[in-house]
Amino acid sequence: MLKPSIGDLFQSSIRAVLKNKSRTLLTSLGIIIGVTSVILLTSIGNGLTIYINQQFESLGSNSIFISPGKIFNDKGGFSSGESSRFVTTKFSIADVNNIKRNIRGVTVLPMAATIVEIKSNKITKDNITLAGSTNQLGELLNRLPSAGNGRWFTLEEYNKGSPVLVMGYTIANDLFPGGNPLNRTVIIKGKNYKIIGVVDKKGSSFGGPDQDSQVYTPLDVVFNINGNEDLAQIMIKTSSKDIVESTKSELNKLFLKKYDKDAFTVFDSSQLLSSINSIIGTLTIALTGIAAISLVVGGIGIMNIMLVTVSERTREIGLRKAIGAFPNAILIQFLFEAVILSGIGGFIGIVLGALGTAAINNFFPAQVTLGSVSLAFGVSFAVGIIFGVAPARKASQLSPIEALRYE
Amino acid sequence: MTQLLSKKSKTSQPVLELKDIVKTYTSGNTTFNALDGVSICIHQGEFVSITGPSGSGKSTLMHIVGLLDNPTDGKVLLEGQDISHLNEEELAKTRNVTLGFVFQQFNLLPKTSSAENVSLPLLYSDVPKSERLPRAIEMLTKVGLSDKLKNTPAQLSGGQQQRVAIARALINNPKIIMADEPTGNLDSKSGKEIIALFHQLHHEGHTIILVTHDMDLAKQAERIIIIKDGKVTSNPC
Repeated sequence: MLKPSIGDLFQSSIRAVLKNKSRTLLTSLGIIIGVTSVILLTSIGNGLTIYINQQFESLGSNSIFISPGKIFNDKGGFSSGESSRFVTTKFSIADVNNIKRNIRGVTVLPMAATIVEIKSNKITKDNITLAGSTNQLGELLNRLPSAGNGRWFTLEEYNKGSPVLVMGYTIANDLFPGGNPLNRTVIIKGKNYKIIGVVDKKGSSFGGPDQDSQVYTPLDVVFNINGNEDLAQIMIKTSSKDIVESTKSELNKLFLKKYDKDAFTVFDSSQLLSSINSIIGTLTIALTGIAAISLVVGGIGIMNIMLVTVSERTREIGLRKAIGAFPNAILIQFLFEAVILSGIGGFIGIVLGALGTAAINNFFPAQVTLGSVSLAFGVSFAVGIIFGVAPARKASQLSPIEALRYE
Repeated sequence: MTQLLSKKSKTSQPVLELKDIVKTYTSGNTTFNALDGVSICIHQGEFVSITGPSGSGKSTLMHIVGLLDNPTDGKVLLEGQDISHLNEEELAKTRNVTLGFVFQQFNLLPKTSSAENVSLPLLYSDVPKSERLPRAIEMLTKVGLSDKLKNTPAQLSGGQQQRVAIARALINNPKIIMADEPTGNLDSKSGKEIIALFHQLHHEGHTIILVTHDMDLAKQAERIIIIKDGKVTSNPC
């Protein structure tokens, strides 16, 4: 039976650690930094995943897309081979009509896009994506202007290819700072276009393509600007989620009649989502792994200080042994001290990581996961045990005589 | 009266007896007998000093008497029981219940209160937690420090620190108190006070072994065991 009890040993270890507050804090710093960065990075990865999932949800889970080229590789990631780099397939309105003829119960939207420069009376914005589609797109993407902000273009305007634009909130206000952009005229490639609707702000913006900077127009407008009638994508909306899979296989069959299997991709948003999620996941693991290196460095710092502590307290160890401490009692006491040091570091790191996440969340989606917190805590305890064993063993093996003689 | 008591106890079994103890140190090819056939006995209630010049084997003898080390050869009998072959943990347990140590360097834990320092041996004993502090206070009162319970060593004079150490040695009610040069780090006034405290403990019936190189100090004891070149030259029993 070990004397003293684990509880008593833990208490005396806590006291020993708290007697040297500044040293304790400095020693824990490595673990604090490591745990903070692990928490921050996993929180950002997690926040990003949640954000993207929400974005996709707003697209609707019953959307199917057909794009030229091979988008996915066999493992579910995005393909990087030649098939995706040199896309020579071009879809046309004929393909859209082909789908409409052969598959029932779906809405088919042709999508064309071009990158343009837009000029208002004072401001010029370049690199703007101008998306051309039908009068149904606004409703299907849930991008209809709200009351008082104009409207989407009509079937008539679509059929005529009228020079009208529906703009995202950001681009509209960038072009007309301080003024109402509605019903104003802008110039694209020397021609006048009227802004007939402004879509409400979608909220949070980070990196990538920004929905609030998108501009929508009738399909023919984009055809005219591009000088061809190629489609960038075909979007198919099914009447319900349940027939997404069967519709996809029908679409595949239909397109295989005309195109090579690597020349097009039929996919739905969940497929795209899982690919993006797997990329974010890999990225998060890689970055967290790099951050975890600092945990190892922190552990070495703890080991270093514990070795110094054992030397400094040789007389104390000798005394404890002289008055009856078993070697194991000394071992556990010093092991506890190392674990307490790393535990304090882990705790402070988690608090700082959570605060940092809350701060980052103001600019960039970030959310603490329970998993990362428990992982960080577990890892910091493990670091304390792994790097505390050597000094604690050294302490427990000191002879009481040597220890008492030590000056 | 004291004389009578100790004479009476000599007829009974000694509390600690060393028989033909040899302790050999080896360095390289040469072996050296620090203790060369030492036999001594300590009786219940005795105040004994062990003295000798440096290099005489005095420290080695103290380590074996203090159960901090095993002899190479010979027997150590604690109340008649042979304990010369106990392992490290058994020795630790025996020290905890049998011995109280007083050191030249006091060896108090820094930044730790007197009461906690005194109760430290109980941490490694079977004494329940609730009894530890009351007993520490009792012992500190006994050595005249009832007003310094919460003071840390840095807030105490050398003499007071040694009193705390003596209280710590007394707390497990040991059979033997081992004091190694207890006045070596003290001024002469504090030293005399500590010696007076040892006399008081002796009168109360405690068995005390005082290890010192100082002959004048050694003379404070009832019996002086002199060791020279690893052999006891006077008063072994």
